[in-house]
Amino acid sequence: MPVIVSTILKYVFVVIIYLFIFGVIRLIYLDINSINRKGTGGKGHYPYIKLINIRENLGFKVDETYHIDKDIEIGRLNKNGIVINDPYISSRHARFIVRDGKYYIEDQGSTNGTLVNGMAAGRQETCLNDGDKIHMGQLDFLFVDRPHV
Amino acid sequence: MTRLISWRQPLGILILADAVIFSMLYLHKQPYDYALIPIGLIIVSLICASYLIIIRKGLGDQYLFLVVGMLASIGFAMIFRLDRAYGIKQAVWLTAGVILFFLSYWIYIKIQMWDRLLFYYMSCSVLLFSATLILGKNIKGATNWIVIGNHTFQPSEIIKILFIFSLACFFKGSQQFIHNNCRIELNWHRTVKRAAIALMAYTFIGFLILQRDWGSAMLFFMIYFVMLYIFDGGWRFLALNAGAAFIGAVGGFMMLYHIRVRVDTWLNPWPHIADKGYQITQSLFAIAAGGFFGTGLGMGKPEFIPEVSTDFIFSAICEEMGILGGVAVVLLYFILAYRGFKIALTVKDIFKKAVALGITSMFGFQTFIIIGGVIKLIPLTGITLPFISYGGSSLTASFIALGILQAISAGDYGETEEQAGEGE
Repeated sequence: MPVIVSTILKYVFVVIIYLFIFGVIRLIYLDINSINRKGTGGKGHYPYIKLINIRENLGFKVDETYHIDKDIEIGRLNKNGIVINDPYISSRHARFIVRDGKYYIEDQGSTNGTLVNGMAAGRQETCLNDGDKIHMGQLDFLFVDRPHV
Repeated sequence: MTRLISWRQPLGILILADAVIFSMLYLHKQPYDYALIPIGLIIVSLICASYLIIIRKGLGDQYLFLVVGMLASIGFAMIFRLDRAYGIKQAVWLTAGVILFFLSYWIYIKIQMWDRLLFYYMSCSVLLFSATLILGKNIKGATNWIVIGNHTFQPSEIIKILFIFSLACFFKGSQQFIHNNCRIELNWHRTVKRAAIALMAYTFIGFLILQRDWGSAMLFFMIYFVMLYIFDGGWRFLALNAGAAFIGAVGGFMMLYHIRVRVDTWLNPWPHIADKGYQITQSLFAIAAGGFFGTGLGMGKPEFIPEVSTDFIFSAICEEMGILGGVAVVLLYFILAYRGFKIALTVKDIFKKAVALGITSMFGFQTFIIIGGVIKLIPLTGITLPFISYGGSSLTASFIALGILQAISAGDYGETEEQAGEGE
């Protein structure tokens, strides 16, 4: 009996160790991918939103920062300007609006809502100021409008 | 917390893999060994706790420890299966290694002047080398052990790290000269600098040859050569060093019976199967016996290979976990080396860059030399497989080196954050 179990475990072990290697390589791949995309964004562009969560624990692709230079939509669908595959984010979740040098966020009727500094941002535009915390799905972003030393 | 230990994350898979390894170990022999349960729990919780500390406290690169945790678990399981007493000792060394990992991380971060201690590194190394030559005990043809009471200790494992630090000090210095504008003076300085680096490196290698530790000598030369290639960049000087190494190797081959045996058994071990080729042929038999999936833990006969728990552990892994298990181990070292190179690439400071690169190439070459040796790809030289082989000095030294690499990666991440902040 133990021999049979050992024999089964031997195959299981080989499978598991390759799963492990695959898992590590996948995380590294996500890491590199986000670095590459961050590189194309260019430095010194404001404003942007910065991810506060520890990216490696999420299990889906998120960049460290997203630039908000024009009206841009955020959600799971590919036609959004910012695509995030978080299951808790709606397909069309929210929208950033730039008008007269001011920045606004508007929820687009998402299932789980959008919070700005802990307050629900409804369908009407909410003005964003430097240092505001935006919560969507499982993610927390920081809105950064100017350089910090 | 719940998110960190999910079954899709590598840590979850690592725990699962450890559970499978330990149940195989537990089942492989009757009567069942109950000591395995606490040992297994301690090792798994040690790895998990360390990984969670690294993640939670943001101590730099998070993949290094994960990969090393896997390698160390495989190594422990194999050693325990080969020899129970060795296995228990290995578990103790593993615990000590993890503690030393955090300790070296902490010490490295606390002290800022590592690049100015060249004199201390060199005098420490010379002291250790002399101590080995005088007090050393000849074990298996190489005088590289110091015996203190019941414990044996291999100074060359620590000297490896000191060697990397000394080289890094030199390259830090030479890089500053290149920034100078005075060309003639620069050339002269460069020659002196190169002579000093070469003198230092060959002194280290010379000491190792005096101890007849050819594997370590080869490793030191390879680390030196790679660092020279990256930080010096002069082709003629590089060729000169390669020539010197070639002459040294040929000279050794002509003069020493010991080396001729190694080369003979590498080219064709089969006529000497009963005596000098015994070890390598047994290793090849073991690898062949394993097949794709291996015989299963405890169901092969790797104990026929002499030195199976140190130098030849890779053959035992191939026999009992299969060639797929062996390839997985090689892949894990690949990831380790890749992460090391990435840290070396991202860090700005030349000294830190050199240390990160040196440590990474040390792990990489050590793996190459011993795995290449046991599969008869290159002549066999006795050296340990980092994190897997049995042995306190080797395991703790590897963990100290890993701690330093981790500290470099952490410091770098902090630095780039700050710089980005200033630039904005």
